[in-house]
Amino acid sequence: MYTPADRMRLARAYVPFQIFSQRLSPMEGLLKGTIFPELYFPYRRQHK
Amino acid sequence: MDRERLALLKELMALEFTALEFNLYLDTHPTDQRALMEFNAILPQLKAVKQKYQERYGPLTAEEPSSYPWQWINEPWPWEICYE
Repeated sequence: MYTPADRMRLARAYVPFQIFSQRLSPMEGLLKGTIFPELYFPYRRQHK
Repeated sequence: MDRERLALLKELMALEFTALEFNLYLDTHPTDQRALMEFNAILPQLKAVKQKYQERYGPLTAEEPSSYPWQWINEPWPWEICYE
């Protein structure tokens, strides 16, 4: 997609393809919100 | 809800969640054989726990045959269950 004025590319998003290797136990997955360790990114409190 | 019942319900929730996770993964990775095997392996466990829960405590949905009197109304609403 190009903007007509200057032919610059707009921002694009890239998502790497997930490859399954390991899974968490059902209960650990339920508590963490995913059974895939590679998708577990909990929010952390920021220390100021 | 007593401890034993709650433990079984949680086990069921965990297995359902795992099945759903593989369901979503397989939607985008239909040729991942190992994930497919894991999904297929979870189903009998899920079925067994669901059946055990329903035999002991009554129907989880209103799509199950019921003994007399109508049992579905006895199941607590999700917000009536203390999960702690």
